[in-house]
Amino acid sequence: METAFKRLYLGHPAHLVVGLTLWSIWFVAVYGGLSVACAVAPPAPAQGAWTGLNLGLGLFSLLITALLAWLTWAGWKAGRELTGRPRFNALVSAGLYLFSALGVVFTGMPIIGVPPCL
Amino acid sequence: MTSINREATPQDPQQPEGAQTLHDDLHEIWGNPRGIKALTIVNHTTLGLRFMVTGMVFFVIGGVLSMLIRTQLATPDQNFMTPDIYSQVTTMHGTVMMFLFAIPILEGLAIYLIPKMIGARDLVCPRLTSLGYFCYLFGGIILSFSMVLEMAPDAGWFMYTPLSSSEYSPGLGSDFWLLGITFVEISALSAGVEIVVSILRTRTQGMALHKMPIFAWYILAMALMIVVGFPPLILGSVLLELERAVGMPFFEVAGGGDPLLWQHLFWLFGHPEVYIIFLPAAGIVSTLIPVFAGRPLVGYGWVVFAIVVTGFISFGLWVHHMFTVGIPQLAQAFFSAASMLVAIPTAIQVFVWLATLWLGKPRFKLPMLWILGFLIIFVCGGLTGVMLALVPFNWQVHDTHFVVAHMHYVLVGGMFFPLMAGLYYWLPLFSGRMPSETIGRWGFWLTFLGFNGTFLIMHWTGLLGMPRRIYTYEAGNGWEIFNLLSSISGFVMSAGIAMVLIDIALHFKFGKPAQHNPWKADTLEWANAMPPSAYNFVSLPKIDTRHPLWDNPDLPRTMAEGKHGLAVTSHGRREMWGTDSITGKVREIIHLPGNSWWPFFAALALAVVCVSLLTRVYALAGVFVIIAGVFLLRWSWENGAHPKAAPDAEVRKGDPPLHSRTMSGPGVWAMATFSIANGSFFLSYLFGWFYLWTVSPQWRMPEVSPLSLVVLVAAGVAMTLGAGVMERLVRGLRVNQDRGLARGFYMSALLGAAQVGLVLWSLLTAGLEPTRTSHDAVLLVGLVYALFHGALAMILSAMQGLRVRHGYVGLHAPFEPAVVVILWRYNVVTFWVLVGALGVLPRVIGG
Repeated sequence: METAFKRLYLGHPAHLVVGLTLWSIWFVAVYGGLSVACAVAPPAPAQGAWTGLNLGLGLFSLLITALLAWLTWAGWKAGRELTGRPRFNALVSAGLYLFSALGVVFTGMPIIGVPPCL
Repeated sequence: MTSINREATPQDPQQPEGAQTLHDDLHEIWGNPRGIKALTIVNHTTLGLRFMVTGMVFFVIGGVLSMLIRTQLATPDQNFMTPDIYSQVTTMHGTVMMFLFAIPILEGLAIYLIPKMIGARDLVCPRLTSLGYFCYLFGGIILSFSMVLEMAPDAGWFMYTPLSSSEYSPGLGSDFWLLGITFVEISALSAGVEIVVSILRTRTQGMALHKMPIFAWYILAMALMIVVGFPPLILGSVLLELERAVGMPFFEVAGGGDPLLWQHLFWLFGHPEVYIIFLPAAGIVSTLIPVFAGRPLVGYGWVVFAIVVTGFISFGLWVHHMFTVGIPQLAQAFFSAASMLVAIPTAIQVFVWLATLWLGKPRFKLPMLWILGFLIIFVCGGLTGVMLALVPFNWQVHDTHFVVAHMHYVLVGGMFFPLMAGLYYWLPLFSGRMPSETIGRWGFWLTFLGFNGTFLIMHWTGLLGMPRRIYTYEAGNGWEIFNLLSSISGFVMSAGIAMVLIDIALHFKFGKPAQHNPWKADTLEWANAMPPSAYNFVSLPKIDTRHPLWDNPDLPRTMAEGKHGLAVTSHGRREMWGTDSITGKVREIIHLPGNSWWPFFAALALAVVCVSLLTRVYALAGVFVIIAGVFLLRWSWENGAHPKAAPDAEVRKGDPPLHSRTMSGPGVWAMATFSIANGSFFLSYLFGWFYLWTVSPQWRMPEVSPLSLVVLVAAGVAMTLGAGVMERLVRGLRVNQDRGLARGFYMSALLGAAQVGLVLWSLLTAGLEPTRTSHDAVLLVGLVYALFHGALAMILSAMQGLRVRHGYVGLHAPFEPAVVVILWRYNVVTFWVLVGALGVLPRVIGG
């Protein structure tokens, strides 16, 4: 784990954009995936929200949330150990990872209850 | 500076006479010419002011248009304007305010301020600043001229298809919009690219990222958003103009297109655009509040956090402008949630500003009055924004005056009020004089009360069901009194703005001379002379704090006396530090080009292209495309070791090398940043291809792809080999190996020519019918994109070969190949993606 932390260089400013880039990729993937699935093979409306499509989108969202949550924890931990500029970068990045994780949860929440292609 | 002393001789900074000599010498190197040669000026101070003054002229034009609208709507059944003219006026009001006022004036402010704030002497690509200004000016004039001809666009400022298509808008109005705005967007993109690179690579020594002035963070985000956000609209405009001019049916259902594609492309640009305008304005607020509160911003890190979040999330909201077009409810829910998320970073900033005021000792000078107005209006606009993020409410008020009111609360409150605060704050820097507090306060209160009278009331007319864009209405709907009050208030607001403009105009002659650093600010721009010299600073300081002027009030004096870095003029070059993007450590000396005609000539040629396309004289447009290309290539020729740039590489002992003698100068960063913009354009194209393929109701995929996969793969191989040759040459230069350099460049150019030839062959043998089906039209655009990029890489490699022969490129000046190779890499990646998307996938998946 420590080696993984070091390889991530959590004090590097690139982390300021990694979390929200992951959020963006997730967002485009769920919106694009939903749109393509609804155009190509829409599930029957009678199924409601309990469709394979919702399940797939939900699992993908959980996976991204877990990754972002781990990066939040790693960034926070690194920020407490670093000083000066790397500390600033790591702590702000940790906040951005957290926001991105919560952003996936909040934006993805309708997957639980809304039918996909109505 | 005609004679250049090869041995650098720093001035003696201890002697006032020496300091004066240094000023004089710097002025000789950096000074602006007068008369007709003023068109050659590339200096950021002058060009920033030109951007802002031109922006204010367009603001007045847009303001007059808004008064015409309010006059028409003041009472029911008005016939002050015909429906046609009214549509032109509303379309041009929105277009002028968004594209010709809001963005350019904020860019102008950034162009003016950023180098001064980060301790640099100019932006990193001064000729690009000049090109950007002239593209903006000419594009704005062309677009505005349509009003004189009574041919102005009339399909609304977001030009929805099919209303803007040739069937429903047969005149030239939409063409004026599409061509004029695309021209103006070249300006925005060029400013975006160079601002990004300038902030990342030209901060003064020691100014690490986390010590940048907060305004620079905002502008960095704005510039990156321009780089990513503008290309989708450029693509949309190109496609719509192609549809209108030659009949390629990208947005026409019968031909396999889809009008909703335009909405996606427009709002992919349009929503980030709101934040592109808001972020710099918020940057002004975050800069001014600490100064007038007399304490550092509370939560600098939180504000950086909020800026980054806003920059990203704002790209995930575009569909909330399209809630009524029939997309699935789950997708609407995603965008609804994302639209609410964006309120969080905004709220963080509001709390940071309030906390800073709370913990400081605020002085309510004139700029703070505008900040106060901003806080009240913008918070209200933000709250109605959250209301509009709710899908059912959005459906209810869609296309009503409620949306118009919300938009003006956000844009006028979020951009215009902070801009006025900023203009009053930096006015002493622009002119050396103070504005009148009395006239200024009258101006503020009239504007503030007039604004709220106009637009607060408009929420109610909207909730009462009054649709936007209607040219008149009948009595009896309960809208009359509200519209009358709105119109009266609109004129009150105009009177306020007129007072502000009069105050600003008068202060240049009658304003009291400003004391040095009149607001007791903390940032480096106040270390300039007032008004500033063309070179900004005599010497460039080392900075290790976020508040250089608070922590070292003596800094302006020591900088002016030449006691810091680069206080040397004997080489005759325009120089500043090139620093590490993260740490702010000095890496090289960046030498900048002097005044030049090329940007003006190139913009002029592009203006002729624009007018020729408008008048459908395509042969003339083709000729002037070539002429513009020649001007741009000649411009690029005068670089590096060219006699007009930096023929010798002499630097003072202990100083780092010139950037053109390294391989990681700002040009590499500029090309990489431009590749991001180009990539955004390319991804938008791919989005269009897959969107039409998936969604368009009458999309027709042929049984057999008309493109020859073998020929495309052969073209890709040739290009990849060419890129490989370039990579090998660049790797060689990195290890001081230049054997066969010119030959290698010619070889890669030849391989590039082979790729171009093969793509052209593929295009000509495909038998495409681009005016019959959108499928063929999309293929054509993709292949032309590949052709253009292949040809550009080929020409640039051949030029590198020529430059080796002239002695401008080689081991002594290895910089340019490192720039050109980035284009080759970009081409290889995008070409293979294109082959996959257009050539392979249709064969694998089918229609």
